[in-house]
Amino acid sequence: MTDLAATGKPVRRSWKDVDLRAVAPFVALAVLLVFGTIVNPTFIGIDNLLNVATRSAFIAIIAVGATFVISAGGLDLSVGAMSAFVAGVMILFMNAAPLDGNLPMLAAAMLLAVGVGAACGLANGLITTVGRIEPFIVTLGTMGIFRALTIYLAEGGSIAMKSQELRATYRPVYFGDVFGVPVPIIVVAVVAIIGAFILYRTSFGRHVIAVGSNDDVARYSGIPVNRVRTVTYIIQGICVAIAVLVYVPRLGAATPTTGLLWELQAITAVVIGGTALRGGVGRIWGTVCGALILEVVGNIMVLSDLVSEYLIGAVQGAIIIIAMLVQRSLSRR
Amino acid sequence: MSVAVPRASTIPATAAPLMEVRGLAKAFGMVEVLKDIDLTIASGEVHAIIGENGAGKSTLMKLLAGHLQPTRGTLSIDGDPVAFAGPVDAEHRGIVLVHQEILLAPDLTVAQNIYLGRELRRGFTVDDRAMNEGAAAAVRSLGADIDPSVVVGRLSIAQRQLVQIARALLVPHRLVIFDEPTASLTPTETEALLAVIDTIRRKGVAVLYISHRLPEVKAIADRVTVLRDGRRVTSELADRLETADMARLMVGRDVSKLYPDHRAAAGDEAVLEVEGLDVPGYAKGATFRLKRGEILGFAGLIGAGRTELMEGLVGLRTAHGAVRLDGRPKRFSDVRDSMRAGIVYLSEDRKGKGLLLAESLRINLTLAALGRFVRGFLIDKGRERTALDGAIEEFDIRTRRKDLLAGQLSGGNQQKLLIAKMMLLDPSIIIIDEPTRGIDIGTKEQIYRFIASLAEAGKSVIVVSSEMPELIGICDRILVMREGRIVAEVSGEHMNENEIVVHATGATAEEAALVAERA
Amino acid sequence: MKKTFAGLAFALASAASLGGAAYAQENKEVTIAVSIPAADHGWTGGVVYHAERAKAALEKAHPGLKIIVKTSPDGATQANALEDLTTQGVDALVTLPHNSDELTDPIRQVKDKGIFITVVDRALSDPSIQDLYVAGNNPELGRVAGEYMKEKLGTADVVVIRGLPIVIDEERQKGFDDAIAGSGIKVLDKQFGNWSRDDAFKVMQDFLTKYQKIDAVWCQDDDMAVGVLEAIQQAGRSDIKMVIGGAGMKDMIKKVQDGDPMMPVDVLYPPAMVATAMELTVANFYDQVPVRGRYILDATLVTKDNAAEFYFPDSPF
Repeated sequence: MTDLAATGKPVRRSWKDVDLRAVAPFVALAVLLVFGTIVNPTFIGIDNLLNVATRSAFIAIIAVGATFVISAGGLDLSVGAMSAFVAGVMILFMNAAPLDGNLPMLAAAMLLAVGVGAACGLANGLITTVGRIEPFIVTLGTMGIFRALTIYLAEGGSIAMKSQELRATYRPVYFGDVFGVPVPIIVVAVVAIIGAFILYRTSFGRHVIAVGSNDDVARYSGIPVNRVRTVTYIIQGICVAIAVLVYVPRLGAATPTTGLLWELQAITAVVIGGTALRGGVGRIWGTVCGALILEVVGNIMVLSDLVSEYLIGAVQGAIIIIAMLVQRSLSRR
Repeated sequence: MSVAVPRASTIPATAAPLMEVRGLAKAFGMVEVLKDIDLTIASGEVHAIIGENGAGKSTLMKLLAGHLQPTRGTLSIDGDPVAFAGPVDAEHRGIVLVHQEILLAPDLTVAQNIYLGRELRRGFTVDDRAMNEGAAAAVRSLGADIDPSVVVGRLSIAQRQLVQIARALLVPHRLVIFDEPTASLTPTETEALLAVIDTIRRKGVAVLYISHRLPEVKAIADRVTVLRDGRRVTSELADRLETADMARLMVGRDVSKLYPDHRAAAGDEAVLEVEGLDVPGYAKGATFRLKRGEILGFAGLIGAGRTELMEGLVGLRTAHGAVRLDGRPKRFSDVRDSMRAGIVYLSEDRKGKGLLLAESLRINLTLAALGRFVRGFLIDKGRERTALDGAIEEFDIRTRRKDLLAGQLSGGNQQKLLIAKMMLLDPSIIIIDEPTRGIDIGTKEQIYRFIASLAEAGKSVIVVSSEMPELIGICDRILVMREGRIVAEVSGEHMNENEIVVHATGATAEEAALVAERA
Repeated sequence: MKKTFAGLAFALASAASLGGAAYAQENKEVTIAVSIPAADHGWTGGVVYHAERAKAALEKAHPGLKIIVKTSPDGATQANALEDLTTQGVDALVTLPHNSDELTDPIRQVKDKGIFITVVDRALSDPSIQDLYVAGNNPELGRVAGEYMKEKLGTADVVVIRGLPIVIDEERQKGFDDAIAGSGIKVLDKQFGNWSRDDAFKVMQDFLTKYQKIDAVWCQDDDMAVGVLEAIQQAGRSDIKMVIGGAGMKDMIKKVQDGDPMMPVDVLYPPAMVATAMELTVANFYDQVPVRGRYILDATLVTKDNAAEFYFPDSPF
């Protein structure tokens, strides 16, 4: 996004013109990478970095969706429970094996998952906009509903893929790679590129920012505020479903701990990435970086022998707060 | 608008100056926005600072109240040089600033707001009774009567402003700075406020009064300082300046002709016919016609339902009734319907409903007509930039840089940007609500000329305004609303303040004459 | 299922045999409240499943019996649920408390109303409250795993994935540490995996990065063992000789039964203990059996030879 003055006069951009707020999360990530390497040199090994990046995929994908919801001034607390629900429905469908052949089965299951995710998002969006209820309350409610439905479907236990053959076909979606790049990383990149494209280059994206910035101004400008908000929740639902597509082949099951606290991780990733929680600012790439930061912090903690296992949570919390402070001080310059 | 306020009979000319300003300058980066300002402020005197938007009034005020530090120059109080570390420091020396925006917590009571952050305590608990009494006394000393236990959210704008003033005056004060205090007040409310300022002056306090409204300045000020382009043009006793002089000094040229010539529309072809339009809770049975090339004014007191009627008409509020456009019945259930039909509404609330203050000029400009800038799925940013260049040129939007945020523009330039934004929709009917609120005189003139040129071009304009001279100056006809109903239509020689006030207030002709006489 | 609890065989046998003698009391009206955690991981899922199963079976056997099963997602909610259940007028309470400290006083208040109290799995801070205590043997679960490793491997580098920092976890860990004390088993690292497959997967990935040679993994819970196995498979590491979990999840029992080299044994800690506790509590009302006291279930070592006895394909866990 180089905004050259339209007069045609070339404008020299010095480093001072760079929006430091947008760069800050990447600086924080770089600092963490250096820190991790000092603590344990194996950290910077390509295998470890790929592991971490791959593991961050679920949160990153979900957080791209959350960037839309939050930019439009909304909030979705149900994404973790929704992940478990979508995963459960998808696995049950595959266990019922209504189709012949593994590939058609997988394709149908994936389509179903995306459809269920979109429907869950639509429900969140409609209840929020048509019902005019605070999104915090709505999605807190649907969070409980999705979680309970999952446990009901699982009859209290976990839902595992029965067919080992199908499992083997599906496994590469998490464990496979293309030219050495793990598939989940590619999925994150594609989702983020599409997300950035929609948010920055289309009129829908512009409307999202306008609605989050000031919904009165948006309404007086003739923007269908409720429709825009609802669509952001649908995008969130689809992102959750895509994350599930990558999650299911990893352990082949939906358990009661699937997606636990993912909503908070996703929101944290979004905020670390520089998106304002009050809406009106959306940074897709910052969000992806935020998700990486979260995972890297956890990785460094396990790889290091710095603190007792009881204190890891405290150190993680402190690192996140410090990252935000660094970002704040950069943007205040 | 004219206002009458009893003038303090004598100005204590011999009084030692309270504050002296010498060679004050302020630069932001490379840009010097204030240059070599000299000023002498005396106790018991109302000193008005006037100037166009961008002349440096706000910066000067912030320097004096400690919100900013000067680049050069000195401030001295009672002859001793001072440098303020911040607004609190300035307050300790008796300098208080009454902000233009209402900065009160709407859910707290009047007393709670007045004592916010400096609550009176009895032991460990807050002493509500003492605070209520203190608040009542503070409000009463300003000549008003407001129940201190009412929550601020239920007060009128004028009452809130009084509360804000009472809050500011709670600390010991020697110099009170008012920043455009009357920008959102009706004439009656303005008059009450000026009386309050007079009360403050009579206590021997110095008042610095910043305003766009020259009749007010003429009415209240003892001394007037004119700023232009960051420099002091003159400081003069108010008695020696007429409003026309002030305007000329501010703009640097003759602006005696504020309102453009506008020939009333020749034809009688109605483009918009409204019949029995109800906006529940606000307007009832509104019936009127708008002709091609006409400028139609809507006058009335604040709260008469003018804004709500317009919002109902374009589909921003629920409304019932018949609307015909070019003779064909229309229903606008959503504002997008009316936009598509060629009607645009420019809100009176520029900052709250008109512009995204935290976004760039480009994003604001194209927001309503974004569809025009989309090619395939993509927004064509090049075309947006071209449009911005065009709008800056056409509407004379004055901005140092094109990548500023809308909130960084002055009020007048924000209004021009809002007009440019809505004109991108290429409307045939333009409804402008309070087109010049909080805007300096030079920009006002531009906006009037622009409205007139729209009408010349065959478009129809509805102007909603609380400034009667403005309506009289530019409109062909004026409809007057009172308590949600259109009560009168005035045109030709009947278009005068006296007659409009009669209709707007429901007062008798005698009462109105009395008001007019005082004016 | 009863045969899984060797230590209880006697009590249950006597309860069953005396059931007929108490024929006259079969229509006695008795209400029993069961307060347990919601299914937040596989094991508690099993608890909920077995509680519901036992409710259906017991109510069928005793027409006058009414059992209310209430699940709660956290300790505070469970405290509220206890109050609600008591006001409905119950004769006995069977509870698996979320945590001991928080719920001791709420349960004491129930006890003060003269209600029979059965505590399952997690001991209260004040043991005098409970009339009956039914639990698995946590220190034993750790000890059995430790002993097995010591015996099979002699000297080995081991990583440990713990659950959540609560009493159960500490007891298991201590049992394990005591068993391997002074042996050639060396613990390289310990981290919390929160009894979650996903978290255990992550921790194991990081252990694999951090240590070039790991001989065995002890993760004290079969849910976490799933994640651990997946991480090892992905890394393609062949140095790990065994993964020992715990609890008796059906998939893991199946692996033991099938002779999976990575999973040679499992240590029992059955969620069905809640059903045992309910059966014993009912026996207190309908049978002339004194059931007060402590019933500790063995942490049985499941091997290829006896795995068939512990494999329940229908259970959700």
